[in-house]
Amino acid sequence: MKKMIIGNQAVAYGALSAGIDIATGYPGTPSSEALTELFNFSQKNDPSPYVEWSVNEKVAFEVATGAAWTGKRAITTMKMSGCNVASDSILSVAYSGTRGGLVIYIADDPGAEAGMPEQDTRLFALQAGLPLLEASTPQSAYKLTRFSFELSEKTELPVILRLVTSVSHAQEMVEGDYSYNRLDREASFERDIFKYTKAGSAICVGQHETLLLRLKQAERIVADRRINRLNCRNCSDSTGFSVVSSGSLIPYVNEELMNFEDVPHLALESIYPLDENIVIKMLKKSERVLILEELEPVVEIMIRSLANKLGWCGTILGKMDGLLPRTGKYEREVILKGLEALVRGNRKRKKHENEPIVETPSIGFSEITGNKQNRNDLPPVSIKHPITFCAGCPHRGTFMALVRAIKRNRMDRNKIIVTGDIGCTILGMNPPFNSCWTEVSMGSSIGLAQGFVRGGIREPVVATIGDSTFFHAGMPPLINAVQHRTGFLLIIMDNGWTCMTGFQPNPGTEERFQGANTRQVDISRLVQAMGIDDLQVINPFDQEHSEEVLSQALLARGVRVVIARKECAITVARRGEVESVCVVDPELCNFCKRCLRETGCQALFVSDYEDREIVKIDTDQCNGCTLCITSCPTDAISTGKIK
Amino acid sequence: MLTNIFISGLGGQGVVTLANLIAQCASEHGLKVSVFNSRGMAQRGGRVTSEIRISDNKNFIYGARISSGQADILLGMEIGESINSISYLKELGTAVILDYSFIPSEMILKKEAYPSQKETSELFLKKTKNLFFVDNPVSPYNIFLLGVFVLLIPLIDKELTFLTQSEVEKSILTIIKRETELSLKTFRQGYEYGAKLAESL
Ligand code: SF4
Ligand code: SF4
Repeated sequence: MKKMIIGNQAVAYGALSAGIDIATGYPGTPSSEALTELFNFSQKNDPSPYVEWSVNEKVAFEVATGAAWTGKRAITTMKMSGCNVASDSILSVAYSGTRGGLVIYIADDPGAEAGMPEQDTRLFALQAGLPLLEASTPQSAYKLTRFSFELSEKTELPVILRLVTSVSHAQEMVEGDYSYNRLDREASFERDIFKYTKAGSAICVGQHETLLLRLKQAERIVADRRINRLNCRNCSDSTGFSVVSSGSLIPYVNEELMNFEDVPHLALESIYPLDENIVIKMLKKSERVLILEELEPVVEIMIRSLANKLGWCGTILGKMDGLLPRTGKYEREVILKGLEALVRGNRKRKKHENEPIVETPSIGFSEITGNKQNRNDLPPVSIKHPITFCAGCPHRGTFMALVRAIKRNRMDRNKIIVTGDIGCTILGMNPPFNSCWTEVSMGSSIGLAQGFVRGGIREPVVATIGDSTFFHAGMPPLINAVQHRTGFLLIIMDNGWTCMTGFQPNPGTEERFQGANTRQVDISRLVQAMGIDDLQVINPFDQEHSEEVLSQALLARGVRVVIARKECAITVARRGEVESVCVVDPELCNFCKRCLRETGCQALFVSDYEDREIVKIDTDQCNGCTLCITSCPTDAISTGKIK
Repeated sequence: MLTNIFISGLGGQGVVTLANLIAQCASEHGLKVSVFNSRGMAQRGGRVTSEIRISDNKNFIYGARISSGQADILLGMEIGESINSISYLKELGTAVILDYSFIPSEMILKKEAYPSQKETSELFLKKTKNLFFVDNPVSPYNIFLLGVFVLLIPLIDKELTFLTQSEVEKSILTIIKRETELSLKTFRQGYEYGAKLAESL
């Protein structure tokens, strides 16, 4: 059966086909749709694997590990940053190994399209000592996911499956069985402290040795299953050149080679451990080798050291010689640059005498520089559409009230540090609020705020965080603040969903939206339970009250928490529950633009009325939050029109 | 043979739906097609792009991304985002652009000038003469633009002639679940508009 799906969904169907019993994860672009697909499957199908969106990647990995230790197949999904959160547990579990297949799906983001560090999970695989497979297309993601479970069970190691954005979000027809092949394994677990604990140095070192043996075994299995391929049109004639590509670049290199000379191409989908046999086969044929991989020179380091060990004395082109960049997504231009450099140094030896002359590459170096020139003079203008809160977003109200409260207290906005956090709430750093100062990692707003206070900042410090991020990694640092009496104002914006990644449920989501047998957790009670008495709840659309509460909270001492509570405008709108929208009375609008300036709401736009300009509201976009009403000095805006 | 189509616009404009409609027609026609959507900030008014790659060789395994300077066709749904996408267009590629501007409120407040249609054409004409501007588009814009594009195809790209009026209408019926009638009507309006545009050449 064939379906048009994206790489992330292909991972999900590969896992279902492999008969997983459990899937866990934490949302994070570009990985989220993998577990979304499994979650939706579990809601609609019986039998189905158990699927949960865990509170963070570490917990997700631990839940998956427990299940795998009972013999079940388990997958856990995350983006590369989540791997940092989970790494403590991953490195430890690598020593213990697994019984049932345990696959850690991690999506990397060369080019930082989702805006985080360009972390290379392949390096993490080296650190953890775990096999890493990388898919080149959605179709290969499906196949490799299935294979990862097999590899995991044969080696008794967790296996890392890596996709990059260009594959995890690419959509194409994928052949698969699209069914859940449940394995019906009995769960069992035996006490074995030598395997599952770290009780004593001898045990740890022993586990480390086992890990290395298992890696060697992984290398053999990968070679037997021919996961990596050495392709060329006419391999018997050695040209002296070879190109190696890692995972996501394989199809792009193939595409360029079609119009290039006949260069043997080693396509690696099993990255770590290095498949030495096939690399040696390639080296033996070559005098010059080009290595193409995005981000860090991981494959290059491994091949260079293997070449060194063998006494191979050809030339290796890659990143370590300064030829190719270590940052960003590789476009065609970079691949061509590498290929040109590969054949350039050695043209004379390229052809045998009586061989028909192969056309010189139709894509020459001149064209590469040509491309560069074009890129430099275009585009001469660049329009920035700043991302902002959605129309009707409650976070807009919170930041408006914060800006107003700082002003009311006659405080200097340039001195009030507001730490931001991951998720929609960080949009408070953009105009018109320009409020957040920092964005580091999940939950970091609260830890950083304490750092500023401890560092000696005298003005009040404000931390801002969304509900899901608070549940994810905000509670541990908040408890820390309570324990050590480090005073700051924490604003938790509770809109009931994990929105930035596509409106997934979190512990604070109402039970009726969470599915059967769930329980909603109330942040205010949690905060109280942590020992915080200075707690207030505001409705961000009630600006007068919110401003009042925030201005007092700014002035107070100790750890104080304000929960700004109102459901996400988009989830409300999707249920068709928007009751009214706002309209501008054109006679009353004097075009002072205060509404635009204070709300930055995208439903507001400038329009002509008679012979002058006024502001109007796009009623298709407006979600009736009434915040712009609080900005208008002439009462030109009113609410009421039913959608 | 690979044909690359790059679509750009803003969240809420239906860039992804437009891509899906084209992809659906291509795969119905037995072609291999891949789609890559960048829509992380779609809900929040940000840039949305879609990269479509179509090949008549079913066994050809290629990546889903279009490199700079490699798009045969650029479909622009918003002036600013079309300009931001120029670097993707091939030398002498074809651009079909809606004359619709969404001016960020920051720019309104700072009274910064937004590029006009004339300035935009000048920028594009440096790269290609195959430029079509669609004035006064009808909502939903994505479907209107598709209508214009489909009519223009015989003039633009012979590899894409599978995108006929009847095939696209079929895919509208399969993919568009809400206000399907309106979409069909808008598609035809776009198609008629395209005919006028073609006549005026
Ligand atoms: S704040 Fe009121 S008067 Fe001023 S531009 Fe907006 S609608 Fe018009
Ligand atoms: S136009 Fe006014 S009422 Fe409507 S969503 Fe925007 S700020 Fe809220």
